[in-house]
Amino acid sequence: MTQAITVGLPRSLFYHKHEVLWTTLVESLGNRAVVSPPTNRTILAMGCHAAVDETCLSVKVHLGHVAWLEGKCDGVLVPRYVSTARKERECVKMWGLADIVRNALPDVKLLSYSVDAAGISHRPTWQTGELYRFARRLGASRVRAARAVLAANVAQARSDGARRRAQERLLARPADKPRILVVGHAYNLFDELVGVPIVDALEAQGCDILLSEHVPVRRANRLALRVSPRLYWTNNLRLLGAVQLLRQRVDGIVFLVTFPCGPDSLVTDLATRVLDDVPSMTLVIDEQVAEGGVRTRIESFVDIVQMRRERS
Amino acid sequence: MSRPVVSFPHMGNYAHVLAPLADLIDADVLVAPPITRRTLEIGARHSPEFACIPFKYNLGNFVEALDAGANVLIQAGGGCRFGYYGEVQEAILRDLGYDCGFIQLSTGLKATQIVRFIRRYNPRIRKSTVEHTIRLTWAKLRLLDEVEDIVRKQVGFEVADGEHDRLLSAFIQELSTAQSVETVDRLAADARSELAAIPLDKPENPLRIGVVGELYVLMEPFANMSVERYLAKRGVEVHRFCTITAILDHAIEGRKNIERMLETTAPYLESHIGADGTESVYIAMRLIEEGFDGVLHLKPFG
Repeated sequence: MTQAITVGLPRSLFYHKHEVLWTTLVESLGNRAVVSPPTNRTILAMGCHAAVDETCLSVKVHLGHVAWLEGKCDGVLVPRYVSTARKERECVKMWGLADIVRNALPDVKLLSYSVDAAGISHRPTWQTGELYRFARRLGASRVRAARAVLAANVAQARSDGARRRAQERLLARPADKPRILVVGHAYNLFDELVGVPIVDALEAQGCDILLSEHVPVRRANRLALRVSPRLYWTNNLRLLGAVQLLRQRVDGIVFLVTFPCGPDSLVTDLATRVLDDVPSMTLVIDEQVAEGGVRTRIESFVDIVQMRRERS
Repeated sequence: MSRPVVSFPHMGNYAHVLAPLADLIDADVLVAPPITRRTLEIGARHSPEFACIPFKYNLGNFVEALDAGANVLIQAGGGCRFGYYGEVQEAILRDLGYDCGFIQLSTGLKATQIVRFIRRYNPRIRKSTVEHTIRLTWAKLRLLDEVEDIVRKQVGFEVADGEHDRLLSAFIQELSTAQSVETVDRLAADARSELAAIPLDKPENPLRIGVVGELYVLMEPFANMSVERYLAKRGVEVHRFCTITAILDHAIEGRKNIERMLETTAPYLESHIGADGTESVYIAMRLIEEGFDGVLHLKPFG
């Protein structure tokens, strides 16, 4: 066995989907995982400094986290996701993520793997196979690598299932409070600076919150394809599917978008067109958003939702 | 039902060459009114706020074409968001009250796939007709791209103002009505010799600038404020590598082309970054190696 290393995990982008997967994998290989802290103003400033101006807020946040990890680990995990299914695609910024980071922060040592199930840029690869090869590159034996990947997949599936069931339980309860579905990418919903303050503000206004990330994936995808048969972005299938799945069971929908997200710019527009009479609001967040303005919009949105509930 | 009248978005001069393809689906064609400020304003008004600019131009073309009498719209797809344009544009147009057909090109590039796609709309068409029309359009596209490439390189040095433009518009006129590959071949020979005969005042070693970037803002002069012409008029030999023929060639070649480019781009890009990104880096690096005086990178916001 080679010497244990410290793997840096930026708390941004895919981390919010793969938190359990990655930490379990790294630790069951006998290595140490160091995770950057929840996004704060300093991390965002570091990201903005490293990024080109016009990239999206979420990529800026990511660069901030990678920069924070510089010097605190032996390598930062920045995988590349092109496609996780043959007919699906990730946003092209995810295709280029490793290269973006490498060019913006040339001193950071990167650990990476590349998932491209559609075989667009190289022979087809799937996440599980890539994680196994990643484990092998870290020096694990075949058996140990396979066991670690299996354990990591199981742990992530358990955690996803628990969160999904918690949302199901919330939906099964009598709706004594207004229910708001917050629709957004996991990396925005769970980011301390982007999505968490919005979810908190909605809760403080007395709402129950449902998240697009916690819906059953296959059902959501099927419903999304029914209204949008050509939709190919994996994340946006889930977002649109969550809207279709829950729009009749919620009092309002908040779309959370980081500026200037390409896929969201189109899909959010389409989603608001298929909502017939559910109140919705789109919050576009960039690095200069003033908290006060967002709060005011949330308060007036909740007012509308409340008034409609009282009327019906 | 009345005969369908199809239309499609503009990009550069391609409409003149692509319009006859409407025959394949047994439809009349309406070339959308030329892009103006109004086109962009209409497009921007009805588009999602930060959709990228080609989306807004395309939507403006659609609205103007429908107002001019088209009843079936055609949208292509590919690249990063372009593949999803059609669906959102169709929804927007429906919400605006337009009742039109919307054809989203979604075929592969194999001959059998193309024939199958066309037969959905025109079941009785003969395979040989499809092949002839596609071969003819392909020849026209190649020639148009070749001629425009020559013009870009020499228009800045013409002695008599406007000579290239006159030649180009007459050429496009003839090209658009050509009915056979032989006619196109003859036009090719004529165009090459006529272009070679235009008197030029060109220095031995002119400034050479290559333009790279996103395909739409590269190929639609209205969207880039005719930057190629602006450069040329200041005595620059303008080189552009992104054309429809180049895009189709690369699409047919697929992953091999990408892998080849990545061998060169490795210091900056280790992997394919999607859409026009890898190619822009690849060409810029090649231009530097070839001693170009400048590289201009154009891209839409968002």
